[in-house]
Amino acid sequence: MITTTALTKSYDTTPAVRDVSLHCEPGTITGFLGANGAGKSTTLKMIVGLVRPDRGTATIDGRPFVELPNPTRVVGLLLDASAMHPGRSGRATLTIAARMAGVQPKRVEHLLDLVGLADAADKRVGSYSLGMRQRLGVAQALVGEPRALILDEPANGLDPEGIAWMRTLLRDFADHGGTVLLSSHLLHEVQATADHLVVISGGAVVAAGRLDDLLASSTILVRSPDPAALAAALGSAGIDYTAGPGDAFTVDVSEGRVTAEVLAGVARDHQVLLTELRQSETNGLEQLFFSLTAAAAPTQEVAA
Amino acid sequence: MTTSMFSRIPDIDAAQSTAGPIPFVRLVRVEWAKATDTRSARWLLALVALSTIAMMLVPVVAPTTFEQTDASYLRVAALGLTILLPVVAILLLTGEWSQRSIMITFTQEPRRIRVVNAKLAVSMVLGAGAAVFGGAVAAAGIGLAAASGRTLGANLTVGAIAGYVLFVILNVFGGVALGALLQNSAAAVAASFALPAAFALLGAASPLVSDWIDMSSTWNWVLENDWAGHVPQIAFSVAFWVAIPLAAGVVRTIRRDIG
Repeated sequence: MITTTALTKSYDTTPAVRDVSLHCEPGTITGFLGANGAGKSTTLKMIVGLVRPDRGTATIDGRPFVELPNPTRVVGLLLDASAMHPGRSGRATLTIAARMAGVQPKRVEHLLDLVGLADAADKRVGSYSLGMRQRLGVAQALVGEPRALILDEPANGLDPEGIAWMRTLLRDFADHGGTVLLSSHLLHEVQATADHLVVISGGAVVAAGRLDDLLASSTILVRSPDPAALAAALGSAGIDYTAGPGDAFTVDVSEGRVTAEVLAGVARDHQVLLTELRQSETNGLEQLFFSLTAAAAPTQEVAA
Repeated sequence: MTTSMFSRIPDIDAAQSTAGPIPFVRLVRVEWAKATDTRSARWLLALVALSTIAMMLVPVVAPTTFEQTDASYLRVAALGLTILLPVVAILLLTGEWSQRSIMITFTQEPRRIRVVNAKLAVSMVLGAGAAVFGGAVAAAGIGLAAASGRTLGANLTVGAIAGYVLFVILNVFGGVALGALLQNSAAAVAASFALPAAFALLGAASPLVSDWIDMSSTWNWVLENDWAGHVPQIAFSVAFWVAIPLAAGVVRTIRRDIG
């Protein structure tokens, strides 16, 4: 279980993270979604004690990370796959992590197999591709048999096959009762992996909740060959609507009072023929996210 | 394969009881491994050994220009060792900052002072090991000199040996302190060559600097076991080069945000 309350951090006078509160339950994968520079990495580093928050708290299983006696036994981290000594082999890197965690050396071989690096284990990390470093980073995160994982942009540098592998691994970890918090700047990546979502923009949380709820469309599109008759029917039933797209109408159903069934009933009662009645394709989250990322799209994330 | 990847994640109480704090000895061993297991680290240690051996050849092959006593041979070993040993010590402290793997280390053991203490312990072991190696090289030099028919002045007192060991350790910790303070390999290595040279230059102008700060005079008193009348000056220069920067470096290490 990973919890933060009102984490806040400024660099000089520039606010990097403002009042970020997260809650990640065992058995779930929480996607931490935001544009590059939105404050994801800074938040994750505050959770693990690398960055000191100005305000707010973060706990893992109810304790601050820095008070965990042997943190790698509780939470596995992949914060920056390029932050490894290039002169050490993959096996040596993992062996050091295993010794720190106090686990059996044979777990290193098991993990090298698990992440598909058994053949490259004795090559120096400096010769690894970014994707291989991500795999090694995942192995390092898992070395202490943790029950939570915090991963910063784990899909970076992975090929499609590697991304699918990562998804399966994280889902399996969560299905066995593990807690996963992962960050990404790609909505579709998070959509395919996470079941909970926290969207951050400009250092503040702008949306949070179950992925299904957030992605569910809040409007219904209704269309009739006789738009005027449909407009009259909706009006007399006291249902607010907006015109469009095209000659169809869009009805806000976010309050729950109006449903597709209610609309169909109104049409029947007024003998209006409907040719379309469905959830609108656009949804608020996607629009929100793209409007947030569009401004920051060309910038490359510098480790913040 | 994926279905058997993870056993059920242990519950909080069960896992907590299996994971006590990381023993300090384990931290030291891991830091020792990190300091010595890469090709670059081994090359550097080999260079320290080579420069010591090369220095030792000078009194052996040029007997007329060098004082031929046991203690002076040992001092030559010390000077050879300490050409590059401070660099080794610096990299012990700065290496992980430059590779950014400090991020991993400080999440494996978030009580950063314990990691720093482990690195200091490794530095101490390294310094002691270097002193022993230097002693062996000096003994070999003395052996060679004796084999060539020379008679060396036998003046190797306990005090001379202690001064030699202390001098080597001081040089190691001077590097450690600079590394801890600057947390950047290039800056610390540059400073370790530039600062002593700068203060030696200033010392030429001001006896106050040369007596109290310039390590080429103050630390040399330690090496030559020449303590009489120099204890306050030696103490001050050790504080200046080791204690103060090390303390400031430890505070900075503990407080620094790692981005």
